[in-house]
Amino acid sequence: MDTQKVDMFLMANAKNFKPQHITYIRERLHQMDDSKWNMIHTLDFKEPSTTLLISIFAGGLGIDRFYIGDTGLGIAKLLTCGGAYIWAIVDWFIISDAAREKNMEKLQQFL
Amino acid sequence: MKKDRLYLLLSLGLLGGYAYIAYSFCNPEAHVTACFFKSVTGIPCPACGNTRSVLAFLRGDLYPALLINPLGVVMAMLMALLPVWIVYDTVAKKETLYYFYHKAEKTIALKPVAIIFALLIVINWIWIIKKGL
Repeated sequence: MDTQKVDMFLMANAKNFKPQHITYIRERLHQMDDSKWNMIHTLDFKEPSTTLLISIFAGGLGIDRFYIGDTGLGIAKLLTCGGAYIWAIVDWFIISDAAREKNMEKLQQFL
Repeated sequence: MKKDRLYLLLSLGLLGGYAYIAYSFCNPEAHVTACFFKSVTGIPCPACGNTRSVLAFLRGDLYPALLINPLGVVMAMLMALLPVWIVYDTVAKKETLYYFYHKAEKTIALKPVAIIFALLIVINWIWIIKKGL
């Protein structure tokens, strides 16, 4: 795929992935054929900053986990009231990374 | 999520849950409101009354347990079932729980199921607030 297109994608999406994955993504995108370009654009990546906001305000109800697609964990979080809020606090710190992880999984199917 | 990580998380959660229930069981007078949500906003959260419900369930009062918070009965059943399932999977070297977890996640993520589920939780929550837990 076009270097320009790859760079465009990376500029727009750098925050959505962990730094150590960016190099790998760049490589794979270069080698990928153009037909997948459209499909990649339809992917719905969750921004870590938005997720963090959701976690701070509605983390006690597990909404942040539901947002990034972790339905099972979301239910567990909801049922235990954010693990007596301990889990809710822990998630404030790890939810951004979890969001990046989920984004990477979504992208992986095309890489 | 990898299988080992899921089982480890579940085991830790179950241990914590059992410890908490055992503590509440042995100290009925020590009523500690574990819910931050309630301390901060004054409104009970959707999981309010779970401990009381599980304790009632342990005493054998199924109907009162349901009345306090139906989710508590769900929790009690999960806490009883999951350790057995995890041990079975570990001993038999199978992945049945892991597989079931992923299927359940996919099912609940479907729009109609998710909406029904969310509605049930909200209705239960309104009921909890009306009960004044």
